[in-house]
Amino acid sequence: MTPSAQGPPDDAATRGPGGPAPTDRRPRSVYGVGEDPDVRFSLANERTALAWVRTGLGLVAGGVALTSFASLARLSGVVDVIAAVACLAGAGFAGYALLAWRRNERAMRRGEPLPPPTGLPVLVAGVLVLALLVAGYAVTEAWAA
Amino acid sequence: MTAPARDPGLQPERTALAWQRTVLGVVLGAVVLAAVNLRTDQPVLAVLAGLLAVATIVPAVLRPPTGGLPKDGLLRSWGFLVRVVALVGALGLLGAASAVRSLL
Repeated sequence: MTPSAQGPPDDAATRGPGGPAPTDRRPRSVYGVGEDPDVRFSLANERTALAWVRTGLGLVAGGVALTSFASLARLSGVVDVIAAVACLAGAGFAGYALLAWRRNERAMRRGEPLPPPTGLPVLVAGVLVLALLVAGYAVTEAWAA
Repeated sequence: MTAPARDPGLQPERTALAWQRTVLGVVLGAVVLAAVNLRTDQPVLAVLAGLLAVATIVPAVLRPPTGGLPKDGLLRSWGFLVRVVALVGALGLLGAASAVRSLL
């Protein structure tokens, strides 16, 4: 098997000596490079990914809550739009969990420094925008009443 | 030190708990969404959300993600992770659909 045939060039070349080639482990783009880090670090990476999933889930839950309030209290369509945006953003952040997990696991397997959490500023900005939208809606409603 | 030594940091336990509350969150979100859709007379969306809750809880009960190590000591969490992300994505789409539906 030549390393240059396919896949990343460091496939199997940088794998630890004596380490069994776990070819059945997916994704290959992660487990094909480097060598297994301390399993506790992999578990920590897994928990970080799950925390991102729950963050996205929180956004989805907030959107669902907004929809239910909007339908029960007959609020205006603005709330429904905010709710839909929150739900879709939550789904997006859940997907980001996969990307971040993959990136971090690859870096750990190669012994490289961890990449910066690029999703974090996006999340902060998004939550800020959503909060301002909801607050603006609440203020305008209170004004009109 | 034996091979499956107990980790003093309880990392497998913490990971298992992280899995459990993530799955629980998906199930709760789906149930709430189903209830909301029942209240707003959207039977199709309600049934879809209920199915999502069942699809989340049944595999988690049958084969719970323990967060621990399989016998060969190699972690295989990618499949679980992809599945739970797909479930959250489906819940987000259903929630957005509910919001759009009540907007129309």
